[in-house]
Amino acid sequence: MLYKNEMYKERKAKIQAIKNHPYFGFVILTLLMLVVQLLRVVGVDVPITILRAFGLTMIYIIIALGFSILLGYAGLASLGTAGFVGIGTYIVGYFTKNLEVSIFLIILITIVGAIVIGTIVGFISLRIEGMYLAIITLGLSEILNEVFKNAVNITNGTNGLGINGLVLFKNIINIDHNTIFVILAVFMFAIMILTLNIMKSPTGRALLAMRNSSSAAQAMGVSIFKYRLLAFITSSVYAFLGGVFYMSYVSFTIPTSWSLAFSLNILAAVIVGGAQSIYGIVLGTFMIFGLNLAVFQQIPLFIENPAISVVFNGVLIIVVIMFYPGGLIRLVNTISFKLKAKIRIWKQRRREYKYGVDSE
Amino acid sequence: MFDTTGFWQKTFIFVIVLVAIYAIVNLVFLRKIKNKSKIQNIMINVLLGIGIFYLFLRIFKVIPEFFDPGFFFMQTIVNSITQVCVLALATTGIVLIFKTSTTTNFSQGMVATFGAFAAARLIIHFAATYTELGNTTIVLFGVLGGGITAFLLGVCIDVFIIRKSKVRTPIGKQMITMGLVLVFSGAIPIIFGTLPITIPRISYDPNVIFTLFGKTLSITVSAIYALGISIVLLGLLFSALRFTKWGLGVRATASNEVVASMMGVNTRMITAFSWGIAGLLGGVAAVILAPNSGNVQVALMIPTQVNGFMAAILGSFSSFLGPLVASILIPVLTSLLVFVVPLWQNAVVYIIILVIVLVKPFGLFGNPIAKKV
Repeated sequence: MLYKNEMYKERKAKIQAIKNHPYFGFVILTLLMLVVQLLRVVGVDVPITILRAFGLTMIYIIIALGFSILLGYAGLASLGTAGFVGIGTYIVGYFTKNLEVSIFLIILITIVGAIVIGTIVGFISLRIEGMYLAIITLGLSEILNEVFKNAVNITNGTNGLGINGLVLFKNIINIDHNTIFVILAVFMFAIMILTLNIMKSPTGRALLAMRNSSSAAQAMGVSIFKYRLLAFITSSVYAFLGGVFYMSYVSFTIPTSWSLAFSLNILAAVIVGGAQSIYGIVLGTFMIFGLNLAVFQQIPLFIENPAISVVFNGVLIIVVIMFYPGGLIRLVNTISFKLKAKIRIWKQRRREYKYGVDSE
Repeated sequence: MFDTTGFWQKTFIFVIVLVAIYAIVNLVFLRKIKNKSKIQNIMINVLLGIGIFYLFLRIFKVIPEFFDPGFFFMQTIVNSITQVCVLALATTGIVLIFKTSTTTNFSQGMVATFGAFAAARLIIHFAATYTELGNTTIVLFGVLGGGITAFLLGVCIDVFIIRKSKVRTPIGKQMITMGLVLVFSGAIPIIFGTLPITIPRISYDPNVIFTLFGKTLSITVSAIYALGISIVLLGLLFSALRFTKWGLGVRATASNEVVASMMGVNTRMITAFSWGIAGLLGGVAAVILAPNSGNVQVALMIPTQVNGFMAAILGSFSSFLGPLVASILIPVLTSLLVFVVPLWQNAVVYIIILVIVLVKPFGLFGNPIAKKV
C-alpha cells in the first residue's frame, strides 16, 4: 500500500515536472498546428482558408517575436518591420525566379543581409532615441517601399512578384502548402525556444536593464553599443526570416503589403498580447491576425464590410492600452490565478464536507 | 530626363570633403580648446548649410540652358506652394500635440481625412441647396466645415481616450494614436460609404501671371487661396502662442506638465484645445490637398503624415520655426529632384533627411534635451 502510494506520488511529480517545463506550451502549440494539418491530410474537411490563416499567423508570430525582443526587452520602438519583411520576400523572389538559387543558400544570404541592415539601424539607434527612432525607422521603411515600387528589374514594381516554387537543390520544385506548413510549425517551435533562451539569458537581462534605464545599465557595466546592435540584429534576422517564410508559403509579394499598416499591426499584436511574454505574443498575434483571417472572413457580415475587422483591431489596441497596460496575457494570468484560488477553496470545502473538519 | 552624369559622384565627393574638413578641424585645431562643443556645433551648422546650398546648386546646374534654368527653378518652387502649405499646416499640428502631450500623434492624418470627407459631403449638400453661391464660397465653407469637424474630433480623442487612459507614458499614448489610425481607416468607409466623392478646387480661374527677378511666372488661384489660408491660420496660431494667456499655458505645459498644473495652469483644457487645433490645421490641409489626388480616399493624408513627421524630425520638435522651415524645404526639394532622379525623389529626400538627422540628432534648430537619470 505504502509502495503504491509512493509510486503514485512519483508519477504525479513527473507529470508536474513536464507540465512546468518552459517548452511545454510551445510543444502543445506546435502539436495543435500539426494536428490541424494532419486532419487535412487524413481527409477531414478543414477549410483551406482556416489552414492558410494558421500558416500566416505562424509567420507573423515569428516576426512578432523578433519585434518583442526589440520593444519589450530593449525598449526600442521601431516601425521598420514592414520594410524588413519585404526585403526578405523580395530576396527569395529574385533569387529563385531569376537566378534559381537553392533555398538553403537564400536563407544564408538573408541572414547575412539581415545582420548588415540590423547593424546599420543599430548604429542609427545609437544617435537617435525614443519616439524619434520610431519616426526615423518609419522613414527607412518608406525608403524601402519606394525601392520595392521603383526597382522594376528586381521587384517587378507595383505588379508584384510571384514565384512558381522553390529551388531545393537544382530545379524549381513546386512544394505543396501542406509540407511548408509542417516545416513552418517546426521552425516556429525552434524560434520560440531560441527566443525564450535569449530572453532568459544574461543578454536578455542586460537588454531589460537597458530598457528600464540606459544610464543605470551603463553604470552597471552593460555596453549600450553592443546590446542595441544585438537587439536590432536579432529583430531584423527574425523579420527577414519571416519574409522568407511568407514568400515560400504565399508565393507572391507586392509593395502595398509592406506599408505602414503592416508595421502597425505587428506592433499591435505585440502590445495587445503583452510585450514581454512569448505566450502573450502568440495570443496577441492570434487576436490581431488569426481572428481576422480565420473567423471574421467566414462570417457574412464581415465579408460584406471588411472595414469592421480593422475597427475591431483598433478598438482592441486602444482598450488594452487604456485599461490593461501589461497586455492580455496579464489579464489571462490574473483570471486564471483567481479561478485557481476559487477551485482550491471549493475543494477544501468538499473535503471538509466529506471527511469532516479536523478538530484542533 | 536631363543630363545627370556626374551629379551623384560630385555631390558625394562634396559631402566627403565636408566630413573631412570637419574631422581635420576637429582633430587639429580644436584639440586643445576646452569649451569646444559650442564651436563644433557652429561648425556643423555652417557645413550643413553649405551642403544644402551645394545640393540646390547642383540641381540648378542639371537643368540645361535651353529651358532657362532660373525660370524653371522658380516655377517649380511656385508650383509646389500648395504642397508646402499642406505640409506646414499638418506639421504644425503634429508639433503642437508633441509640445503639450509629449507624444507623436499618428492619428493626425486620419482625423484630417475624416474632416475632408465631412467637407466633401458638406460641399455636395451646399452645392445642391444654395445654387446661387459661387464655387469658391462653397469650397471655402467646406474648408471651414472640415476644419471644425476635425477640431471636434481632436477634442473628443483627447477628452474621451487619451485622458481616460490608465498609463500615460509617451510610448503608450503613441500606441493609442496608432490604434486610432486603424479605427478611423475602418470607420471612414462605414460612415461615409464607399462611393467615390470629390472636392472641387477652390477656384477654377485662369492662372495669375506675375514677374519675379525678371522672369514671368504663373501661379494657380487655388494656390494663392491656400497660401492665404495657411498664412492666416499659422499667423493667428503663432501670435496666440506668443501673446495670449492660452499660448503662455501651452508653453508652460510644454516645458513641464506637472509643474504647470501645480502653478494653476489648466493643463486639461490646454491639452484638449491643442488636440482640437491640431485637428483643425490637419482638416484644413486635407481639404486643400484633396483636389490634387482626385477622389477623397482613406489614404489621402498618409504621405503628408509621413512627410510631416520627417519635417518635424528635421526641424526639431522643440521649436515651431524649425518644422516650418523643414516643411518648406521638403516639398521644394522633392519637386526639384524630379528632374534629377525621376521616381526616386521621395527616397532620396528621406535619405538626405536621415543623414542630416544623424549629424544633428535633435534637428536643424533643436538643442539636446537634458534628461534626469
